[in-house]
Amino acid sequence: MYVDNVKSQMRKGMLEYCIMLLLHKEPAYASDIIQKLKEARLIVVEGTLYPLLTRLKNDDLLSYEWVESTQGPPRKYYKLTPKGEEFLSELEQSWRELSETVDHIANR
Amino acid sequence: MKKTLTVNLGGTVFHIDEDAYRLLDNYLCNLRLHFRRQEGAEEIVNDMETRISELFTEKLNGGLQVITIGEVEEIIARMGKPEDFDGDADEEPTSKGRTSGAGDSGTGSRSGSGASSSFRRRLYRDPDNKVLGGIASGIATYLDWDVTLVRVLFICLLFLPYCPMIILYIIAWIVIPEARTAAEKLSMRGEPITVENIGKTVTDGFERVATGVNDYMNSGKPRTFLQQLGDALVQLAGFILKACLVVLAIICSPIVFVLIIVFVVLVVAAVSLAIGGGAWLYHLLPMVDWAPLSAISPMLTVAGSMAGIALLGIPLLSIVYAVFRQTFHWSPMATGVKWTLVILWFVALIVFLVNLAELGWQLPLYGIHCV
Repeated sequence: MYVDNVKSQMRKGMLEYCIMLLLHKEPAYASDIIQKLKEARLIVVEGTLYPLLTRLKNDDLLSYEWVESTQGPPRKYYKLTPKGEEFLSELEQSWRELSETVDHIANR
Repeated sequence: MKKTLTVNLGGTVFHIDEDAYRLLDNYLCNLRLHFRRQEGAEEIVNDMETRISELFTEKLNGGLQVITIGEVEEIIARMGKPEDFDGDADEEPTSKGRTSGAGDSGTGSRSGSGASSSFRRRLYRDPDNKVLGGIASGIATYLDWDVTLVRVLFICLLFLPYCPMIILYIIAWIVIPEARTAAEKLSMRGEPITVENIGKTVTDGFERVATGVNDYMNSGKPRTFLQQLGDALVQLAGFILKACLVVLAIICSPIVFVLIIVFVVLVVAAVSLAIGGGAWLYHLLPMVDWAPLSAISPMLTVAGSMAGIALLGIPLLSIVYAVFRQTFHWSPMATGVKWTLVILWFVALIVFLVNLAELGWQLPLYGIHCV
Protein backbone atom coordinates (compact mmCIF):
# COMPACT_ATOMS: atom_id res chain seq x y z
CA MET A 1 0.00 0.00 0.00
CA TYR A 2 2.75 2.41 0.97
CA VAL A 3 4.63 1.68 -2.25
CA ASP A 4 1.54 2.49 -4.29
CA ASN A 5 1.09 5.72 -2.40
CA VAL A 6 4.63 6.80 -3.19
CA LYS A 7 4.16 5.91 -6.84
CA SER A 8 0.94 7.83 -7.12
CA GLN A 9 2.49 10.84 -5.38
CA MET A 10 5.29 10.86 -7.95
CA ARG A 11 2.82 10.56 -10.78
CA LYS A 12 0.65 13.32 -9.39
CA GLY A 13 3.53 15.75 -9.29
CA MET A 14 4.40 14.96 -12.88
CA LEU A 15 0.86 15.26 -14.20
CA GLU A 16 0.77 19.05 -14.36
CA TYR A 17 4.17 19.15 -16.01
CA CYS A 18 3.06 16.65 -18.66
CA ILE A 19 -0.18 18.50 -19.37
CA MET A 20 1.76 21.71 -19.88
CA LEU A 21 4.28 19.92 -22.11
CA LEU A 22 1.43 18.62 -24.25
CA LEU A 23 -0.11 22.07 -24.55
CA HIS A 24 3.28 23.59 -25.34
CA LYS A 25 3.34 21.70 -28.63
CA GLU A 26 -0.13 22.67 -29.75
CA PRO A 27 -3.43 23.86 -28.29
CA ALA A 28 -5.69 20.96 -27.47
CA TYR A 29 -9.10 20.28 -26.02
CA ALA A 30 -9.73 18.18 -22.97
CA SER A 31 -10.54 14.93 -24.75
CA ASP A 32 -7.31 15.11 -26.80
CA ILE A 33 -5.33 15.60 -23.61
CA ILE A 34 -7.12 12.68 -21.99
CA GLN A 35 -6.36 10.51 -25.00
CA LYS A 36 -2.66 11.30 -24.86
CA LEU A 37 -2.38 10.94 -21.10
CA LYS A 38 -4.13 7.61 -21.27
CA GLU A 39 -1.76 6.44 -23.99
CA ALA A 40 1.09 7.40 -21.72
CA ARG A 41 -0.65 5.57 -18.85
CA LEU A 42 -0.49 8.66 -16.71
CA ILE A 43 -4.12 8.81 -15.67
CA VAL A 44 -6.64 6.10 -15.07
CA VAL A 45 -9.87 7.96 -14.39
CA GLU A 46 -10.66 10.84 -16.69
CA GLY A 47 -12.16 12.99 -13.97
CA THR A 48 -8.67 13.68 -12.60
CA LEU A 49 -7.87 16.01 -15.47
CA TYR A 50 -10.69 18.55 -15.15
CA PRO A 51 -9.92 19.98 -11.71
CA LEU A 52 -6.28 20.27 -12.79
CA LEU A 53 -7.11 22.16 -15.96
CA THR A 54 -9.38 24.54 -14.10
CA ARG A 55 -6.75 25.13 -11.42
CA LEU A 56 -4.06 25.84 -14.02
CA LYS A 57 -6.45 28.18 -15.82
CA ASN A 58 -7.31 30.02 -12.60
CA ASP A 59 -3.59 30.51 -11.99
CA ASP A 60 -3.32 32.16 -15.44
CA LEU A 61 -1.01 29.44 -16.68
CA LEU A 62 -3.53 28.29 -19.27
CA SER A 63 -6.18 30.03 -21.29
CA TYR A 64 -8.83 28.64 -23.56
CA GLU A 65 -10.94 29.64 -26.51
CA TRP A 66 -14.08 28.14 -27.93
CA VAL A 67 -13.62 26.49 -31.30
CA GLU A 68 -16.55 25.35 -33.44
CA SER A 69 -16.61 21.64 -34.07
CA THR A 70 -17.99 19.79 -37.05
CA GLN A 71 -19.50 17.20 -34.73
CA GLY A 72 -21.42 18.44 -31.75
CA PRO A 73 -21.14 21.57 -29.64
CA PRO A 74 -18.13 23.93 -29.64
CA ARG A 75 -15.05 22.79 -27.79
CA LYS A 76 -12.75 24.48 -25.33
CA TYR A 77 -9.23 24.54 -26.73
CA TYR A 78 -6.64 25.09 -24.04
CA LYS A 79 -3.27 26.70 -24.66
CA LEU A 80 -0.39 27.98 -22.57
CA THR A 81 -0.28 31.66 -21.64
CA PRO A 82 3.08 33.53 -21.65
CA LYS A 83 3.12 33.07 -17.89
CA GLY A 84 2.50 29.39 -18.45
CA GLU A 85 5.42 29.17 -20.90
CA GLU A 86 7.63 30.82 -18.34
CA PHE A 87 6.49 28.43 -15.64
CA LEU A 88 7.00 25.49 -17.98
CA SER A 89 10.62 26.43 -18.60
CA GLU A 90 11.11 26.66 -14.83
CA LEU A 91 9.56 23.23 -14.49
CA GLU A 92 11.79 21.89 -17.24
CA GLN A 93 14.78 23.23 -15.36
CA SER A 94 13.76 21.65 -12.09
CA TRP A 95 12.86 18.39 -13.84
CA ARG A 96 16.33 18.25 -15.35
CA GLU A 97 17.87 18.91 -11.96
CA LEU A 98 15.75 16.24 -10.38
CA SER A 99 16.60 13.62 -12.95
CA GLU A 100 20.28 14.53 -12.71
CA THR A 101 20.12 14.13 -8.96
CA VAL A 102 18.44 10.78 -9.26
CA ASP A 103 20.93 9.62 -11.91
CA HIS A 104 23.77 10.83 -9.82
CA ILE A 105 22.61 8.94 -6.76
CA ALA A 106 21.64 5.84 -8.69
CA ASN A 107 25.00 5.62 -10.48
CA ARG A 108 27.21 6.02 -7.49
CA MET B 1 -40.58 -1.60 -20.68
CA LYS B 2 -39.08 1.53 -19.15
CA LYS B 3 -40.00 5.15 -19.13
CA THR B 4 -37.42 7.43 -20.81
CA LEU B 5 -36.60 11.06 -20.32
CA THR B 6 -35.13 13.63 -22.65
CA VAL B 7 -32.16 15.49 -21.22
CA ASN B 8 -29.88 18.25 -22.39
CA LEU B 9 -26.37 17.23 -21.43
CA GLY B 10 -23.63 19.64 -22.39
CA GLY B 11 -25.68 21.06 -25.24
CA THR B 12 -26.76 17.77 -26.81
CA VAL B 13 -30.11 16.09 -26.44
CA PHE B 14 -30.27 12.49 -25.25
CA HIS B 15 -32.97 9.98 -24.55
CA ILE B 16 -32.20 8.30 -21.28
CA ASP B 17 -33.92 5.67 -19.14
CA GLU B 18 -35.39 6.95 -15.94
CA ASP B 19 -33.17 4.88 -13.63
CA ALA B 20 -30.11 5.79 -15.69
CA TYR B 21 -31.10 9.43 -15.39
CA ARG B 22 -31.32 9.16 -11.61
CA LEU B 23 -27.89 7.58 -11.39
CA LEU B 24 -26.32 10.18 -13.66
CA ASP B 25 -28.03 13.04 -11.86
CA ASN B 26 -26.73 11.75 -8.54
CA TYR B 27 -23.26 11.33 -9.93
CA LEU B 28 -23.22 14.93 -11.16
CA CYS B 29 -24.65 16.18 -7.86
CA ASN B 30 -21.96 14.28 -6.03
CA LEU B 31 -19.29 15.85 -8.20
CA ARG B 32 -20.69 19.28 -7.39
CA LEU B 33 -20.67 18.36 -3.71
CA HIS B 34 -17.10 17.20 -3.97
CA PHE B 35 -15.76 20.26 -5.75
CA ARG B 36 -17.92 22.82 -3.98
CA ARG B 37 -15.04 24.30 -1.97
CA GLN B 38 -12.78 24.67 -4.98
CA GLU B 39 -12.56 27.71 -7.13
CA GLY B 40 -14.35 27.18 -10.44
CA ALA B 41 -16.36 24.19 -9.21
CA GLU B 42 -19.19 24.89 -11.61
CA GLU B 43 -16.78 25.01 -14.52
CA ILE B 44 -15.16 21.70 -13.62
CA VAL B 45 -18.50 19.93 -13.45
CA ASN B 46 -19.70 21.57 -16.67
CA ASP B 47 -16.57 20.43 -18.48
CA MET B 48 -17.08 16.92 -17.18
CA GLU B 49 -20.68 17.07 -18.32
CA THR B 50 -19.49 18.01 -21.79
CA ARG B 51 -17.10 15.07 -21.76
CA ILE B 52 -19.84 12.67 -20.69
CA SER B 53 -22.07 13.96 -23.45
CA GLU B 54 -19.25 13.40 -25.93
CA LEU B 55 -18.82 9.83 -24.76
CA PHE B 56 -22.56 9.24 -25.05
CA THR B 57 -22.53 10.61 -28.58
CA GLU B 58 -19.80 8.12 -29.46
CA LYS B 59 -21.98 5.34 -28.06
CA LEU B 60 -25.03 6.50 -29.95
CA ASN B 61 -23.11 6.55 -33.20
CA GLY B 62 -22.74 2.84 -32.64
CA GLY B 63 -26.44 2.45 -33.31
CA LEU B 64 -27.78 2.77 -29.79
CA GLN B 65 -30.95 4.80 -29.33
CA VAL B 66 -31.42 5.14 -25.61
CA ILE B 67 -28.91 5.48 -22.83
CA THR B 68 -29.43 2.77 -20.27
CA ILE B 69 -28.09 2.32 -16.77
CA GLY B 70 -25.30 0.10 -18.12
CA GLU B 71 -23.90 2.98 -20.16
CA VAL B 72 -24.09 5.35 -17.23
CA GLU B 73 -22.27 2.90 -14.97
CA GLU B 74 -19.60 2.48 -17.61
CA ILE B 75 -19.19 6.25 -17.89
CA ILE B 76 -18.93 6.63 -14.13
CA ALA B 77 -16.25 3.96 -14.01
CA ARG B 78 -14.42 5.77 -16.79
CA MET B 79 -14.67 9.25 -15.32
CA GLY B 80 -13.97 8.02 -11.82
CA LYS B 81 -15.47 8.56 -8.42
CA PRO B 82 -14.82 11.80 -6.56
CA GLU B 83 -12.55 10.00 -4.08
CA ASP B 84 -10.29 8.96 -6.95
CA PHE B 85 -9.55 12.53 -7.94
CA ASP B 86 -7.69 14.14 -5.10
CA GLY B 87 -6.06 11.09 -3.67
CA ASP B 88 -4.38 9.08 -6.34
CA ALA B 89 -5.18 8.27 -9.90
CA ASP B 90 -4.32 4.72 -9.09
CA GLU B 91 -5.58 1.37 -10.19
CA GLU B 92 -7.22 0.07 -7.02
CA PRO B 93 -10.69 1.35 -6.40
CA THR B 94 -10.82 -1.07 -3.47
CA SER B 95 -8.38 0.91 -1.35
CA LYS B 96 -10.97 3.42 -0.35
CA GLY B 97 -9.77 3.88 3.21
CA ARG B 98 -6.38 5.08 2.12
CA THR B 99 -7.74 7.29 -0.61
CA SER B 100 -9.92 9.14 1.80
CA GLY B 101 -6.98 9.41 4.16
CA ALA B 102 -5.17 11.32 1.46
CA GLY B 103 -8.05 13.79 1.36
CA ASP B 104 -6.36 15.92 4.01
CA SER B 105 -5.59 18.46 1.32
CA GLY B 106 -8.55 20.36 2.68
CA THR B 107 -10.75 20.03 -0.37
CA GLY B 108 -13.03 17.06 0.05
CA SER B 109 -12.70 16.94 3.80
CA ARG B 110 -16.40 16.45 4.40
CA SER B 111 -16.79 13.59 1.98
CA GLY B 112 -13.39 12.25 2.95
CA SER B 113 -14.23 11.99 6.62
CA GLY B 114 -17.55 10.45 5.69
CA ALA B 115 -15.88 7.72 3.71
CA SER B 116 -13.17 6.89 6.22
CA SER B 117 -15.53 6.58 9.15
CA SER B 118 -17.92 4.66 7.01
CA PHE B 119 -20.06 3.44 9.86
CA ARG B 120 -20.02 6.42 12.16
CA ARG B 121 -23.31 8.19 12.12
CA ARG B 122 -23.67 11.92 12.28
CA LEU B 123 -26.47 13.76 13.97
CA TYR B 124 -28.77 15.58 11.58
CA ARG B 125 -32.36 16.68 11.64
CA ASP B 126 -34.32 14.33 9.45
CA PRO B 127 -36.59 16.38 7.19
CA ASP B 128 -38.35 13.36 5.74
CA ASN B 129 -39.91 12.12 8.96
CA LYS B 130 -40.33 15.36 10.80
CA VAL B 131 -43.30 16.59 12.76
CA LEU B 132 -41.84 19.88 13.93
CA GLY B 133 -38.14 20.23 13.25
CA GLY B 134 -37.15 16.65 12.62
CA ILE B 135 -35.12 16.48 15.82
CA ALA B 136 -36.81 13.45 17.32
CA SER B 137 -36.50 11.52 14.09
CA GLY B 138 -32.90 12.69 13.68
CA ILE B 139 -31.99 11.51 17.17
CA ALA B 140 -33.86 8.26 16.60
CA THR B 141 -31.87 7.64 13.41
CA TYR B 142 -28.67 8.54 15.19
CA LEU B 143 -29.29 6.18 18.10
CA ASP B 144 -31.05 3.61 15.94
CA TRP B 145 -34.13 3.81 18.14
CA ASP B 146 -37.74 3.86 17.18
CA VAL B 147 -38.97 7.36 16.32
CA THR B 148 -42.18 6.97 18.27
CA LEU B 149 -40.23 6.02 21.39
CA VAL B 150 -38.16 9.19 21.15
CA ARG B 151 -41.28 11.29 20.61
CA VAL B 152 -43.02 9.77 23.63
CA LEU B 153 -39.89 10.43 25.67
CA PHE B 154 -39.83 14.05 24.49
CA ILE B 155 -43.46 14.55 25.43
CA CYS B 156 -42.88 12.97 28.86
CA LEU B 157 -39.93 15.30 29.41
CA LEU B 158 -42.18 18.22 28.54
CA PHE B 159 -44.25 17.58 31.68
CA LEU B 160 -41.27 17.10 33.94
CA PRO B 161 -40.77 20.06 36.27
CA TYR B 162 -37.51 21.98 36.02
CA CYS B 163 -36.82 20.65 32.55
CA PRO B 164 -36.86 23.45 29.96
CA MET B 165 -37.75 21.04 27.17
CA ILE B 166 -39.16 23.67 24.84
CA ILE B 167 -36.02 25.78 25.05
CA LEU B 168 -33.81 22.72 24.64
CA TYR B 169 -35.82 21.71 21.59
CA ILE B 170 -35.49 25.13 20.01
CA ILE B 171 -31.76 25.21 20.71
CA ALA B 172 -31.41 21.75 19.17
CA TRP B 173 -33.41 22.98 16.18
CA ILE B 174 -31.00 25.86 15.68
CA VAL B 175 -27.80 23.95 16.37
CA ILE B 176 -28.37 20.63 14.60
CA PRO B 177 -28.14 20.94 10.81
CA GLU B 178 -30.80 19.51 8.55
CA ALA B 179 -29.82 16.60 6.33
CA ARG B 180 -30.59 17.99 2.91
CA THR B 181 -28.16 16.54 0.40
CA ALA B 182 -27.75 12.93 -0.53
CA ALA B 183 -24.40 12.78 1.24
CA GLU B 184 -25.80 14.19 4.46
CA LYS B 185 -28.68 11.77 4.42
CA LEU B 186 -26.33 8.86 3.89
CA SER B 187 -24.07 9.94 6.72
CA MET B 188 -27.11 10.44 8.93
CA ARG B 189 -27.87 6.77 8.44
CA GLY B 190 -24.21 5.87 8.86
CA GLU B 191 -23.74 4.62 5.33
CA PRO B 192 -20.51 5.43 3.51
CA ILE B 193 -20.82 8.19 0.94
CA THR B 194 -19.72 6.71 -2.32
CA VAL B 195 -21.11 7.02 -5.76
CA GLU B 196 -21.84 3.30 -5.88
CA ASN B 197 -23.74 3.59 -2.64
CA ILE B 198 -25.85 6.40 -3.96
CA GLY B 199 -26.22 4.60 -7.24
CA LYS B 200 -27.21 1.42 -5.41
CA THR B 201 -29.82 3.18 -3.35
CA VAL B 202 -31.13 4.69 -6.54
CA THR B 203 -31.37 1.42 -8.36
CA ASP B 204 -32.59 -0.44 -5.29
CA GLY B 205 -36.06 0.88 -5.67
CA PHE B 206 -38.16 3.96 -5.76
CA GLU B 207 -38.96 3.93 -2.07
CA ARG B 208 -35.38 4.75 -1.08
CA VAL B 209 -35.11 7.36 -3.78
CA ALA B 210 -38.15 9.10 -2.45
CA THR B 211 -36.78 9.10 1.09
CA GLY B 212 -34.05 11.39 0.08
CA VAL B 213 -31.13 10.15 -1.89
CA ASN B 214 -31.71 12.90 -4.40
CA ASP B 215 -30.06 16.18 -3.80
CA TYR B 216 -32.34 18.67 -2.09
CA MET B 217 -35.27 16.46 -2.77
CA ASN B 218 -38.09 16.42 -0.30
CA SER B 219 -39.75 13.22 0.62
CA GLY B 220 -42.49 12.19 -1.74
CA LYS B 221 -44.17 10.27 1.05
CA PRO B 222 -47.63 11.47 2.00
CA ARG B 223 -47.61 13.41 5.25
CA THR B 224 -49.65 12.08 8.13
CA PHE B 225 -52.22 14.29 9.79
CA LEU B 226 -49.93 14.88 12.77
CA GLN B 227 -47.08 15.85 10.47
CA GLN B 228 -49.34 18.21 8.51
CA LEU B 229 -50.38 19.83 11.77
CA GLY B 230 -46.70 20.20 12.68
CA ASP B 231 -45.91 21.75 9.30
CA ALA B 232 -48.69 24.29 9.68
CA LEU B 233 -47.47 25.15 13.18
CA VAL B 234 -43.90 25.61 11.97
CA GLN B 235 -45.01 27.82 9.11
CA LEU B 236 -47.12 29.94 11.43
CA ALA B 237 -44.27 30.30 13.92
CA GLY B 238 -41.88 31.24 11.13
CA PHE B 239 -44.31 33.84 9.82
CA ILE B 240 -44.82 35.37 13.26
CA LEU B 241 -41.08 35.45 13.85
CA LYS B 242 -40.49 37.20 10.54
CA ALA B 243 -43.25 39.71 11.23
CA CYS B 244 -41.76 40.42 14.66
CA LEU B 245 -38.34 40.98 13.09
CA VAL B 246 -39.75 43.40 10.54
CA VAL B 247 -41.60 45.34 13.25
CA LEU B 248 -38.48 45.37 15.38
CA ALA B 249 -36.42 46.69 12.48
CA ILE B 250 -38.94 49.46 11.81
CA ILE B 251 -39.01 50.44 15.47
CA CYS B 252 -35.27 50.27 15.80
CA SER B 253 -34.23 52.25 12.75
CA PRO B 254 -34.88 55.72 14.25
CA ILE B 255 -33.29 54.62 17.50
CA VAL B 256 -30.19 53.50 15.67
CA PHE B 257 -30.14 56.79 13.81
CA VAL B 258 -30.36 58.74 17.05
CA LEU B 259 -27.67 56.54 18.57
CA ILE B 260 -25.34 57.32 15.70
CA ILE B 261 -25.89 61.06 16.12
CA VAL B 262 -25.33 60.77 19.87
CA PHE B 263 -22.16 58.85 19.20
CA VAL B 264 -20.80 61.48 16.82
CA VAL B 265 -21.68 64.27 19.23
CA LEU B 266 -20.02 62.40 22.09
CA VAL B 267 -16.85 61.90 20.09
CA VAL B 268 -16.72 65.57 19.13
CA ALA B 269 -17.38 66.60 22.72
CA ALA B 270 -14.74 64.22 24.03
CA VAL B 271 -12.15 65.49 21.60
CA SER B 272 -12.85 69.13 22.37
CA LEU B 273 -12.85 68.35 26.07
CA ALA B 274 -9.50 66.63 25.71
CA ILE B 275 -8.05 69.64 23.96
CA GLY B 276 -9.48 72.63 25.75
CA GLY B 277 -11.83 71.21 28.28
CA GLY B 278 -9.76 71.83 31.35
CA ALA B 279 -10.07 75.58 31.19
CA TRP B 280 -13.77 75.34 30.51
CA LEU B 281 -14.33 73.05 33.46
CA TYR B 282 -12.39 75.40 35.62
CA HIS B 283 -14.56 78.23 34.49
CA LEU B 284 -17.78 76.28 34.88
CA LEU B 285 -17.21 74.88 38.33
CA PRO B 286 -15.45 77.55 40.35
CA MET B 287 -16.67 76.05 43.61
CA VAL B 288 -14.53 72.92 43.12
CA ASP B 289 -11.06 73.19 44.48
CA TRP B 290 -8.85 72.45 41.47
CA ALA B 291 -5.58 72.84 43.36
CA PRO B 292 -4.72 69.13 43.58
CA LEU B 293 -5.41 68.74 39.88
CA SER B 294 -3.16 71.54 38.77
CA ALA B 295 -0.24 69.56 40.07
CA ILE B 296 -0.90 66.86 37.49
CA SER B 297 1.09 67.09 34.31
CA PRO B 298 -1.01 68.08 31.27
CA MET B 299 0.62 65.26 29.32
CA LEU B 300 -1.03 62.74 31.60
CA THR B 301 -4.44 64.37 31.29
CA VAL B 302 -4.33 64.40 27.52
CA ALA B 303 -3.19 60.77 27.39
CA GLY B 304 -5.91 59.81 29.84
CA SER B 305 -8.57 61.56 27.81
CA MET B 306 -7.42 59.95 24.58
CA ALA B 307 -7.44 56.56 26.29
CA GLY B 308 -10.92 57.24 27.59
CA ILE B 309 -12.18 58.09 24.11
CA ALA B 310 -10.68 54.93 22.68
CA LEU B 311 -12.01 52.90 25.59
CA LEU B 312 -15.58 53.96 24.88
CA GLY B 313 -15.25 54.67 21.19
CA ILE B 314 -13.93 51.34 19.95
CA PRO B 315 -16.79 49.23 21.32
CA LEU B 316 -19.29 51.85 20.14
CA LEU B 317 -17.68 51.89 16.72
CA SER B 318 -17.82 48.13 16.44
CA ILE B 319 -21.50 48.12 17.44
CA VAL B 320 -22.28 50.75 14.81
CA TYR B 321 -20.27 48.80 12.26
CA ALA B 322 -22.13 45.61 13.08
CA VAL B 323 -25.47 47.38 12.67
CA PHE B 324 -24.37 48.86 9.34
CA ARG B 325 -23.10 45.50 8.21
CA GLN B 326 -26.47 43.92 8.88
CA THR B 327 -28.43 46.66 7.14
CA PHE B 328 -26.23 47.31 4.12
CA HIS B 329 -24.62 43.87 3.74
CA TRP B 330 -21.11 45.18 4.21
CA SER B 331 -18.30 42.71 4.18
CA PRO B 332 -17.08 41.74 7.65
CA MET B 333 -14.16 43.66 9.10
CA ALA B 334 -10.75 42.41 8.03
CA THR B 335 -9.00 40.32 10.66
CA GLY B 336 -6.04 42.69 10.75
CA VAL B 337 -8.25 45.69 11.45
CA LYS B 338 -10.18 43.74 14.05
CA TRP B 339 -7.07 42.70 15.95
CA THR B 340 -5.59 46.17 15.72
CA LEU B 341 -8.75 47.56 17.30
CA VAL B 342 -8.69 44.94 20.03
CA ILE B 343 -5.04 45.67 20.81
CA LEU B 344 -5.71 49.41 20.73
CA TRP B 345 -8.56 48.94 23.14
CA PHE B 346 -6.36 47.03 25.55
CA VAL B 347 -3.65 49.67 25.31
CA ALA B 348 -6.27 52.33 25.99
CA LEU B 349 -7.54 50.34 28.97
CA ILE B 350 -4.05 50.07 30.43
CA VAL B 351 -3.26 53.75 29.87
CA PHE B 352 -6.58 54.72 31.37
CA LEU B 353 -6.06 52.55 34.45
CA VAL B 354 -2.50 53.78 34.92
CA ASN B 355 -3.73 57.31 34.58
CA LEU B 356 -6.49 56.74 37.08
CA ALA B 357 -4.06 55.19 39.53
CA GLU B 358 -1.74 58.14 39.06
CA LEU B 359 -4.51 60.66 39.69
CA GLY B 360 -5.76 58.69 42.65
CA TRP B 361 -8.83 56.50 42.42
CA GLN B 362 -10.93 58.66 44.65
CA LEU B 363 -10.40 61.81 42.67
CA PRO B 364 -13.99 62.53 41.67
CA LEU B 365 -15.16 62.02 45.22
CA TYR B 366 -12.26 64.04 46.44
CA GLY B 367 -13.25 66.95 44.26
CA ILE B 368 -16.79 66.93 45.55
CA HIS B 369 -15.65 66.70 49.13
CA CYS B 370 -13.62 69.78 48.68
CA VAL B 371 -16.59 71.97 47.91
